[in-house]
Amino acid sequence: MSSTVSVSKGVFVFKNGAKAASKSARKKKKATESLFCDSLWYKTYKTLWNSVETKIQELNNDMFSSVLSNLVDCIKNSYANPVSEIPAVALLTGINMPDHSAQFKTLKQEIKRTITPHLCTLSGEDCHNLKYLVETMIHQLVKNEDVMDEEDESDSDTPRIKKSQCNFSLLQYWYEELYLNKSQKLSPSKKIIVVIIPHFENFSPKVLQDFILIASSYINILPFVFVFGVATSLSVVHRSLPYHVSSKINIQVFHSFPSTVYLNNVLENILFSRDCPFHLGGKVFNLFRDIFLFYDLSVSGFIQNFKYAMLEHFSYGNAMALCQKKHVKQIIEDFTHDDLENVRQIMSFRKLVESEEPENRIRLLTDDTYFKNVLRREIKKIMSYLPNLHLFLRCLHVLVHDLPKAPLGKQVRELYAVAVSKNITTTQEYKECFQLLSFQSKEELTKKIVRVKELIVNNFEQSHLDYEVEGILVNEFDKFMTQLDNLELVEDKKEEVTQKDSLLELMNRLDLKEKLKQMSQNKPLNKYEKIRHNLLNFLSSQFEVYLVPPSNFYFHEIFFFNDMSIQSHIIGTHRTAIHTALNDPHFYLQCPCCSIPNDSVILPSMPDICIVYKLHLECGKMINLYDWLQSFLSIVDPQELDDDSKPTVDPELQARFTQAVAELEYLGFIKSSKRKTDHVTRLTWGG
Amino acid sequence: MTTLSKLEASLPCRSAQIGQLYNLYGHKGEPFPDSVYISGGPSVGKSIVVRTVLHELGVKYAVINLIECYTTKILFETILNKLVGLGDSRCDNMMDFVDNLRRNRAALVESVLIIDKAEKLRTMDFNLFPGFLKLKELTGGIPVSVVFLSQIILQKFYSRSSVVEPIQIHFPQYSKDELLEILSSDIDYARTAVTNAFHFDSNFYQNYLNAFLSVFYRHCRDLSELRYVARTNFLNYCQPILRNENTVEDSMALWRKVAPFLKQALQNLYLRVSSPQLPDNLAQNLELPFYAKYLLIAAYLASYNPAKDDKRLFMKYHGRKTKTMRDVKRKNKVTEQLNTLLGPKPFSFDRLLAIFYSIVDDKVGFNNNLLVQVSSLVELQLLSSLSDGSTLDGAKYKCNVNFDFIQMVAKMVGFNIRKYLSDFSHM
Repeated sequence: MSSTVSVSKGVFVFKNGAKAASKSARKKKKATESLFCDSLWYKTYKTLWNSVETKIQELNNDMFSSVLSNLVDCIKNSYANPVSEIPAVALLTGINMPDHSAQFKTLKQEIKRTITPHLCTLSGEDCHNLKYLVETMIHQLVKNEDVMDEEDESDSDTPRIKKSQCNFSLLQYWYEELYLNKSQKLSPSKKIIVVIIPHFENFSPKVLQDFILIASSYINILPFVFVFGVATSLSVVHRSLPYHVSSKINIQVFHSFPSTVYLNNVLENILFSRDCPFHLGGKVFNLFRDIFLFYDLSVSGFIQNFKYAMLEHFSYGNAMALCQKKHVKQIIEDFTHDDLENVRQIMSFRKLVESEEPENRIRLLTDDTYFKNVLRREIKKIMSYLPNLHLFLRCLHVLVHDLPKAPLGKQVRELYAVAVSKNITTTQEYKECFQLLSFQSKEELTKKIVRVKELIVNNFEQSHLDYEVEGILVNEFDKFMTQLDNLELVEDKKEEVTQKDSLLELMNRLDLKEKLKQMSQNKPLNKYEKIRHNLLNFLSSQFEVYLVPPSNFYFHEIFFFNDMSIQSHIIGTHRTAIHTALNDPHFYLQCPCCSIPNDSVILPSMPDICIVYKLHLECGKMINLYDWLQSFLSIVDPQELDDDSKPTVDPELQARFTQAVAELEYLGFIKSSKRKTDHVTRLTWGG
Repeated sequence: MTTLSKLEASLPCRSAQIGQLYNLYGHKGEPFPDSVYISGGPSVGKSIVVRTVLHELGVKYAVINLIECYTTKILFETILNKLVGLGDSRCDNMMDFVDNLRRNRAALVESVLIIDKAEKLRTMDFNLFPGFLKLKELTGGIPVSVVFLSQIILQKFYSRSSVVEPIQIHFPQYSKDELLEILSSDIDYARTAVTNAFHFDSNFYQNYLNAFLSVFYRHCRDLSELRYVARTNFLNYCQPILRNENTVEDSMALWRKVAPFLKQALQNLYLRVSSPQLPDNLAQNLELPFYAKYLLIAAYLASYNPAKDDKRLFMKYHGRKTKTMRDVKRKNKVTEQLNTLLGPKPFSFDRLLAIFYSIVDDKVGFNNNLLVQVSSLVELQLLSSLSDGSTLDGAKYKCNVNFDFIQMVAKMVGFNIRKYLSDFSHM
């Protein structure tokens, strides 16, 4: 193989370019950072987001690790025994591909670390035909090796391999060079070659078939292992590979978690925990959840939305710097007058003022030190409320998640959505749940109570429950437990006997019926039922104390983000956007000349296309071009049109009109018609 | 004739072909034939026979697998590399190739070039097949012989340009007895498989293979596949013996016990999936967002309903339809007219959206997330796009899922799909 030296130049330039680009990017970043980096709210945001992000990363790794370790083991042992087919691993990932790029990244790192440096990733876009595929793969493999060998050496010395030179004989040569020369013995030091195809569905099956056939013909020389990321199910693999190909690979199947499970984990462990003081309000949370469930099932999308909401929340101003766990006191101390004014603009401050005595009202508004004290007090209230909210939501979840039909929902997130938007203890579903609970048998109830108790005890240190409260709770539970345990010992025949006596002295049938009805209704409770009744009452009273909606607190806006205006930023609606841009250019241009009181007004100062667009909205299905031009002229140039004597139009204006029409056609609003001369067809209706 | 008999012993059931090859290449001093065309189905022993024969005869040969040679350049360079040992030659076309061969005349004497998967030559450059047939002539009499291994017969190569007819050798499919004979040579593997827990003779193994072939012979003649399945199922066959339930002689009982396993293995023929899997149901396992499910249903409806029925099916006040004699007749007509049994018809994007909005109960915003769902369904191969990416309006799609699948999806979202299919709506 003659390897040319001259190619190195190209590589060299590219690498330098990449470095320069990254450098400039960093510089740019610094420039943007300097805008906000001094402000208090940005610092808070930054620390909070970083902690959330690292936690999500950890969770991601944890969740994937069990699958990952199995997978890596499988790959590692794939050539332990002599094989006649290529070992392959199918990882069923679920439909959301972008979410899984992180998983594949960890997988790659893991393989590199433990198994083999020979690793390449192929994507469908790069591999339209076999030639590209082979070249891309071999280039990755061979280049990778070079990087490993001499990392910091200047690349000009090392012979580089052109992409077009890459073929299987080169690979074989390279591989044998690597392992045959170093050690004469073949098998032990030989490292396997892993080929990862993260998006199996994206791949052209024909290319893949040929590739598998080639690889299988080299099976004794080059130990390949394939990793397929399959989005739908294994049948796709079988469908796209015919018999003579599928008999060449030996597939092991691994499942990863469905994305709903993943989301629940993220929510319960990170976003709904005391570590994250920033909370989504009910409406916004429901919006994000709907996007997730109805549109994309993408957890990373959810997290991005969450991040956006956070940015929006913190950019309100320094008041939001209070949205953190630790240094609240310090921050309130450090607040300037402007910052406090910022806090005073929060909506719930008004309520606070109104609830105060008249003389305090003025002090609240003017006296900064007094206000600081109040603020500290109120913030502290919320701070102790939040952990309890999560804790008791979880307790409630334990109680209600497996009730028939699950009136409050099966997931913590559903409970959360209700609890932060209204008082959950007053809702119909809550009452229904407790009614259902009051039918539960002793075993079921006992199990649940034990779990609730565990939850409280385990979370005690984290939450802000008082010692006394916790003690009382645990004591109560213990009491109920012992009562339930002792239930069998106590017999309660006595009461039944007394009841039966009263039945004997009866007058007529009607009375008897009435009486029986009454008796069936207030049938005396037996011991267990009494205990259950007391227990549920106790639980309910606790929930009523702790599960109040956040809007009961002053300054809850600092911790709860509930601004639905972000909807338009989160969900893109291109048609509305285009319509707004054309119908009301002022909305985007923000120029002083184009602002209009209502939609029907057309100003000559607007861009031509907007005028033409607005005129076309008034037309029917077919638009006469000449009439259109006339109305265009009447707006752009009102004086000219008045004298009918002038038969011709200004060519400049006509050109402007023609251009605008052409632009509209390009955007797809109209289409030239063949049926009627000088007419165009309108293609869109409504906004 | 010792080499010949040795070859026939090592490659059973192929004595006729071995004899032919031996006649062509086995006699020292005789010139080799220009070209030999060997045809036969998959795994009937073409490659192994040719290779073994040439190897035993001590003839120099090189095997080229055409799948690997996706360009002509690679093909020529690989040949030169393997046959002559030129690692760094540059060879772009037939002329260069011939020239290179001429210059290395000495290295090529008495060598054989084996071209595997020769059916690929039909789709490669037009001059390759005639060129290889006449290689000796083109190179000015270098005694190099070309062997083609192909799964299709030579007649498929005929074109208008008259080609030299090569010598043909056909490898027929193995008959049942021959398969039995070849598979029974696998007995050593079987012995190691049971790790000598008990001893058995060849008769026992023959019994197993008989039982095995009685199930598989009708479905599969591919020797390598049969051998693989036979090996994997042999342990199942031996299980009752290892559990001391039956003796080695009890072949009928063993057959009865292994039959269900073999039937199961028949389902997974050619699919080498290691982990024993439940029959996985795509519709149940697939997790799709809510609206994507509805989009898929809408796509199915659009694919399998004629467009003229849309008004009747999806609009509330569609007016009364007058019954004609034709309709009545059509209703009586049986299943061959059913749209659901014919293939999916293409539909336009607008129609998909219109149907989607009429079947979804709640008000859905028309936003980008919704539109992205369509392309992600295409990506998952649940829909297929029929128009190229350049057309902005009027993109056409087709639904790729079958009725059972869509019924499952519809059931999951609580949607009665039969009501909206014109095949079933009159029922």
